[in-house]
Amino acid sequence: MPVTLKILGVECAYGATPVLHGVDFSVVKGSFTGIIGPNGSGKSTLMHCISRVLRPLRGTVLLDGNNLYNLHPGVVARKMAVVPQETAVNFAFSVAEVVMMGRSPHLHRFQLEGEKDYAVVSRMLALTDTLHLVDRPVTEISGGERQRVIIAKALAQEPEIILLDEPTAHLDISQQVAILGLLQRLNRELGLTVVGIFHDLNLAAEYCDSLILVQKGQVHAVGPPEMVLTAENIKAVYGAEVLVRQNPVTGRPAVMLAAGGGRPAVPRGRVHVVCGGGAGAALLGLLTRYGYLVSTGVLNIGDIDWEAARCLGLSLVEEAAFCPVSPERHQANLALIKQADACVMVNIPFGRGNLDNLAAVAQARAWGKPVLLVEEKVIEDRDFSGGQATVIYRDLVAKGALILRGEQAALTWLAQM
Amino acid sequence: MDPRRRYKYWRLWISLLLAGLAGTVVVCTVIGPAAISPGEVLAILGRKLPGAGRFIARGDWPDSFETIVFQLRLARVVLAVLVGAGLAVAGVVLQGLLQNPLADPYILGISSGAALGATLAMLFGLGTHVLGIYAVPLVAFVGAVVTVVVVYTLARKGNRVPMATLLLAGIAIGSFLSALTSLAMITSGQNLQQVIFWLMGGLAGRGWDHVIVLLPYVFGGFILMYFSAHRLNVILLGEEAAQHLGIDVERLKLVMLGAATLVAAAAVAVSGVIGFVGLIIPHTVRMLVGPDHRVLLPAAALVGGIFLALADALARVVAAPEEIPVGVITAICGGPFFIYLLRRKKDAGI
Repeated sequence: MPVTLKILGVECAYGATPVLHGVDFSVVKGSFTGIIGPNGSGKSTLMHCISRVLRPLRGTVLLDGNNLYNLHPGVVARKMAVVPQETAVNFAFSVAEVVMMGRSPHLHRFQLEGEKDYAVVSRMLALTDTLHLVDRPVTEISGGERQRVIIAKALAQEPEIILLDEPTAHLDISQQVAILGLLQRLNRELGLTVVGIFHDLNLAAEYCDSLILVQKGQVHAVGPPEMVLTAENIKAVYGAEVLVRQNPVTGRPAVMLAAGGGRPAVPRGRVHVVCGGGAGAALLGLLTRYGYLVSTGVLNIGDIDWEAARCLGLSLVEEAAFCPVSPERHQANLALIKQADACVMVNIPFGRGNLDNLAAVAQARAWGKPVLLVEEKVIEDRDFSGGQATVIYRDLVAKGALILRGEQAALTWLAQM
Repeated sequence: MDPRRRYKYWRLWISLLLAGLAGTVVVCTVIGPAAISPGEVLAILGRKLPGAGRFIARGDWPDSFETIVFQLRLARVVLAVLVGAGLAVAGVVLQGLLQNPLADPYILGISSGAALGATLAMLFGLGTHVLGIYAVPLVAFVGAVVTVVVVYTLARKGNRVPMATLLLAGIAIGSFLSALTSLAMITSGQNLQQVIFWLMGGLAGRGWDHVIVLLPYVFGGFILMYFSAHRLNVILLGEEAAQHLGIDVERLKLVMLGAATLVAAAAVAVSGVIGFVGLIIPHTVRMLVGPDHRVLLPAAALVGGIFLALADALARVVAAPEEIPVGVITAICGGPFFIYLLRRKKDAGI
């Protein structure tokens, strides 16, 4: 695959403050590349460096094999266009005049704009859906419109590469999708190479075919979104607990917040949670956040609660997907329960496959541990085991298990324990 | 959008303003304390026109009339036009480069540098034994140019000159030099009226030799600016954006600051510190013809010339036979007009 931009061992600094420490990566011709990373990681500095604004102290930037900083600015401008985060235009040029400025790299010093330039400008206005604004002063249009006009100006340069610094930072979601969709179309249909800084990881995952994750002035990971946007990478770079799943419609990775918030330093006690099918994920998160040592089981691999438990790093007994609880797993579950100070069971349905989990809760009560039953529906309505679950459940209540409405009630009860 | 329509519109404006300038020159030449009738003035002027001149018969006016009209009035009107045009285009360029609507040709210390030079020449005879009567304009010119060079050098960081720093350096150096000027005036205590008149700006007693000195600066500076008009447009989008469009921004800034400085310094050297022209005219003309420098620069030159010629005519007659400094007229007209512009600024950006 032909490389159009090559960044080799780049080190940059603002004054005496070093910002980039040896950055290497390549941008493939025709790719849609996203640069992501936390605030202050050096993304914008990197963008300045590859847009010929900030000359690196060491290392080189090659544009189609030539040192970017040795090329004439006019030559670079015919190949590469730059869209900044925000453009403040103080003078009342019309939209058409601003877009026409994109033609200046193609005009000789005293040359007036010709038919071809007007044709290009009209085409780019149409592409960016700004044709209706053509005679409006650029000072009087909305932020989203202005950003589209600035993109039209960049496209009027007829570049091979377009660099964007958080092009959608101040826009609402529909404007963001409109602008990124436009860039994607230009990328697919015209082969325009797109390199952009993105703040929103999900937007980056959705539109980019290659991501560069930057941390503290260095490249942490490079590759397709599903390889770069992993929970481990995000934890390492952003320090945030996230859950990465697949967008069911596009198949791209989707990043979701997990536990979040800091955990108290002093653990509050051990709680075992019996759950499944996503009914317990929220409670697992809440208990963890409040400082309990949480264990859970038995959960089938691939189950939503299983994923949450894994993501939260809980002690967990797992069973193969779609399989009933095996005797060994059941024993392992009992071992966890034995260590717990309390056992919580959420409002889950029971069938033959997970009846052992209910039996495990009954054992907890038999060991004299407090048992909390979060109930939203009576047991009869969620018993698919032919009545066995109802019998055990009623017996459990008779032996002193508490029925509580909602997770908050369970948290309150545990707090008073 | 249609380019032909736009160029036509621009040509219309320039033609109108050229006609306005011709009319202004004639009207301002007619105005004056000596009892010369408008018909006689027109005939005297007409006879000087190449080609058409020989078809106009000489009337029975005394020779002194020709001297008054041609040597005194016309020279002064032409000088006013040149000074006005020079200050206006320098203002346009500086407002664009600094991206600051309050910028004017004096903002980088030109006026205070020139004022200090002129004051030293007038009060302490700096340079007078070498340069004679040209000491004041020459020392003022040198003072202005040296000041801008110092300001530019102070603002320089590596190979870049940030415009905000330039602005602040200009203001700081300007205040410092103004203080020195005041100090010079207080310690000297004589010729003060001459200094005050110069500081307010005026064209009294100037003639063709001043025109000849100023013309190359204004003309050359204007040509340089006009050839950079397109790049000046692009730099209005911001320096980085201009760089991304392939413009060598630092070089453009240097050349344009140089051009504006020479034009404004030369104008100040011959006329003193005439305020408000370089601030008001660029704004007014931008409202009339739009921000595109390809039409803004020539239009501002013409409007600046017309405005200062009219203001100078007013300065001559309003308290005749006494003259008031034209800078007083421009400030009296300019202040309220500027407030009016600010009130309706919404329509035209800056």
